[in-house]
Amino acid sequence: MITIAKLRSMKNIQVISLGSHAGIIQSILDHDYLVGKKRPSITTIVANGRKQERYFWGESEIIIPVVPNLEKLSQEERDACQAIVNFQSARRVLSSIEQALEVLPNVKVATIFAEQTPERHSLELLNLAKSRDVLLVGPSSVGLLVPGVMKLGAIGGTQHARITDAGIITAGDTAVVSTSGGIVNELIHTVTSSGLGVSFALALGGDRYPLTSPAEAMLLAEADPATKRIVYFGELGGDDEYKIAELQRAGKLKKDIVAYIAGSVAELFETPPQFGHAKALAGNQDESASAKKAILKKSGTIVCNSFGDVAKNLRKYGGRFEPSEQTIGPRRRSLIVSHISGDRSGETQLLGDALLATIESQSIASLVLSLLLGQHVQSKRAIEFTDYVLRLLVDHGPYVSGAVNTIVAARAGKDLVSSLSAGLLTIGPRFGGAINAAAGNWLDGVKNEKTAAEFTESFARIGQAIPGIGHKKYRIDSPDPRVSALRKFAKNKNSDRYLVFALSVADVTTAKKDNLILNVDGVIAAIMLDILESELGYTEQQLSTLVDIEFFNALFVLSRSVGFTSHYLDQRRHDEGLLRLSSDDVRYIG
Amino acid sequence: MPRRKLSEYRAKQIITKALGIPYEGWPIHLPSRDRDSAKIPQDDRRYVIKVDQAIKGRFKKGLVILDVKRNAIATSIKKLAGSGYEYFIVEPFVTHESGAERYISMAQTREGATLSYSDKGGVDIESNPGSVTTVKLDNVLNYQALSRETAIEETALRALIGVFTAPDNHLTFMEINPYFVADGTITVLDSAIEVDDAGQYFTTTWKGEDIRDSAILTKQEQVIHELDKKSASSFSLSVLNPNGAIFLLLSGGGASVAIADEVYNKGLGKMLANYGEYSGNPPLHEAYKYASQVLDLIIASRAPKKILFIGGAVANFTDVAATFAGVINALNEKAKQLQKQNLTVYVRRGGPNQEEGLKNMTACLKSLGIYGGVYDPSTSIPDALDKALKEFTS
Repeated sequence: MITIAKLRSMKNIQVISLGSHAGIIQSILDHDYLVGKKRPSITTIVANGRKQERYFWGESEIIIPVVPNLEKLSQEERDACQAIVNFQSARRVLSSIEQALEVLPNVKVATIFAEQTPERHSLELLNLAKSRDVLLVGPSSVGLLVPGVMKLGAIGGTQHARITDAGIITAGDTAVVSTSGGIVNELIHTVTSSGLGVSFALALGGDRYPLTSPAEAMLLAEADPATKRIVYFGELGGDDEYKIAELQRAGKLKKDIVAYIAGSVAELFETPPQFGHAKALAGNQDESASAKKAILKKSGTIVCNSFGDVAKNLRKYGGRFEPSEQTIGPRRRSLIVSHISGDRSGETQLLGDALLATIESQSIASLVLSLLLGQHVQSKRAIEFTDYVLRLLVDHGPYVSGAVNTIVAARAGKDLVSSLSAGLLTIGPRFGGAINAAAGNWLDGVKNEKTAAEFTESFARIGQAIPGIGHKKYRIDSPDPRVSALRKFAKNKNSDRYLVFALSVADVTTAKKDNLILNVDGVIAAIMLDILESELGYTEQQLSTLVDIEFFNALFVLSRSVGFTSHYLDQRRHDEGLLRLSSDDVRYIG
Repeated sequence: MPRRKLSEYRAKQIITKALGIPYEGWPIHLPSRDRDSAKIPQDDRRYVIKVDQAIKGRFKKGLVILDVKRNAIATSIKKLAGSGYEYFIVEPFVTHESGAERYISMAQTREGATLSYSDKGGVDIESNPGSVTTVKLDNVLNYQALSRETAIEETALRALIGVFTAPDNHLTFMEINPYFVADGTITVLDSAIEVDDAGQYFTTTWKGEDIRDSAILTKQEQVIHELDKKSASSFSLSVLNPNGAIFLLLSGGGASVAIADEVYNKGLGKMLANYGEYSGNPPLHEAYKYASQVLDLIIASRAPKKILFIGGAVANFTDVAATFAGVINALNEKAKQLQKQNLTVYVRRGGPNQEEGLKNMTACLKSLGIYGGVYDPSTSIPDALDKALKEFTS
């Protein structure tokens, strides 16, 4: 059975947000920061669209990763998650919680924000909560707050100044339980301004079947050693207060309960309109506010007739609660976030280390690969391969289209950067850009367990060449010496699954035509994928991101820039005149 | 997830289909009255005409007309429509002996579904609680015994229970009262079904248009009802007394009831003109639309002296400045009419961007000359309300 004491012991709780709600997530981080946590409790957001979201941690900015679904999380991340905040729509509440509890074995508590969750879905979730021993809070709840430990939802406010004002950075001894989200916040203020502090606060949600019922919330408070008394806000409708009264009479609820039951106003009407929440419609006399107040009073609850009585009754405890006044200073969203480099204490850094120290200890290949990947790379094989690729791709003669354009621009009298740009702008699907496309295809083939024949057929069907396959000059009996040289880096046979796949594709294609060999682009893509996966631990998802952002083409662009620049300098040095095609070079079809 | 009533027409269709018996009945909606009525056969039978708008005690309220000839249906509907109703149902008029009336109902509870039955059905079932037996609809249910007790053939009973308990139907209450069984044939006289309106997306058994509200909505209530349906935030508005003096423009389901309670507790309930609330951080233009309707109620009321109480608890995430900007736009737009109302406005609110919201509200009320007081969370809700209600108590 989950207890508040157990939740309170989870000082470093890790939370996953299902769906994103920037304002509320920020407020959770603000609570974490204000109470002195070392890192945010929210580790991951599960949502479509972006790969990360920016938030403030105190006055500076941090990144929270976003994944499209829980399947993308590693087993380690799944095991570490102990709590969920659910911002999914009402339609997806049941399915998203069911799925999350399946994938995340150690979740102990989840709060559900959506309004309009069907009753039947709530009833199914009730069964799930029991069988999995998870504390489910909601639906239509602003969440659960255990000051200093967890803020799972909007509860307690969404602006950091309000969180400080509310006095919830410091834990107290009074539990706040409410069916209403707005009132839970009002009651927190009432508690702290009455000289008391909050031990925990729970917004049950105004639905007919709150997954944690008022009576269950009372039992949680009763069992919590840090809670001395309970402030409760209930409404007309339902029979929850009868259950609370029963527990009091049976001696199972001994702590003081200061209660306000809203809805007396409904007694003005023969057929009252819907007051407040879904649950707040008295089906018969027994569910009226006055009947509930009477039964609670009889069993020993301190019943307030007016909302103002709540504060009066709380002041009688003579509390001297002094909340922390820790605040967060002004903060400003940066225009640019960089993981690569920046200044720290006036010193330029690369990937977290001082520039000079970094470059002195690293080769250019090591530096290039680290910067391109945005992380320090230690793998010797990865660095050596990068070094070889950078050297190999440096130039391939003045005949290729990029070099030609550089030369044409240089001879037209353009400056270095313009001429180099002319060459670089030529890089695309038919020239130099095939490494990336090949990487995307090898990844797709391996991920979807395609056979080489299926894979080849899928290109044949749409009449397209396979990137990374085929060469003008080389063929199966006169192999490309560069390909043989590159293959020396593929030594780790067990994990070379991308190269194995690429070669199996080449087996199929060369059987059709002898020049459809695995070419330089294709072999670089395959080996780089294998190295990233086996040496650097990249997941399929991360590799697919590298394809999306054109990492693989970056190697070609960088290396060939040297070649283009050399061709520019060469042309200028020898002052070649303007290049003009003769009429023999152009055939006019008029 | 409020529970709402289906039209009697749809409820009877669902129930008779489950029981495997034919159903004759024709729904009539006022705007398409002529087209709907044309479907009723031209014969010598007699008909019964009922308002089909989820109203309790229709007989006593005169909203049922019995024993009507085919050619008199149109005038009967016209008569009922005169009271403001727009949905009707026409059925063949059936007579029976009242002693044979039976009762059966099913209800969804937190602990599971239950079934209640009685052989003393009819309009007075509530005064005969001793005759009602309730059983749980679980795996150990004895269908044979239940079939005997209810006089409903077992297959039909199973089908009826099946419709109620099917997870995708989202039914929360089903009642047939009364029905009678003669020569092994069941006749359903009156029935009702309540559904969970949050289940609408998942079911094909009923539609949103089958849901009936008992109240005849005023123009302003209608506008807010539509706004609520379309918005991601939530809105409600009920006119309690069109000539009331105390108007509420509140936020939050809990705080709004607590505030209405305070008015009632002070013995001023009869002066309360409206109840309602907005919540879930509505955008500016929706807050404007909501406020405009409340202001229209103020302008329409004939009370000689009026107060408007704006506000609520300390919001968790509703942006006070943005929602108040909508309210301020509405106040400014109706300034001229409001200034003639002998109106004083009091405000108490907290939450995101409260400083800006309260500052702008103060400036607006002062410039319009209707300022009573504007309070932040350092003044409690009851204290702020006290100051407002002093207009009437002192």
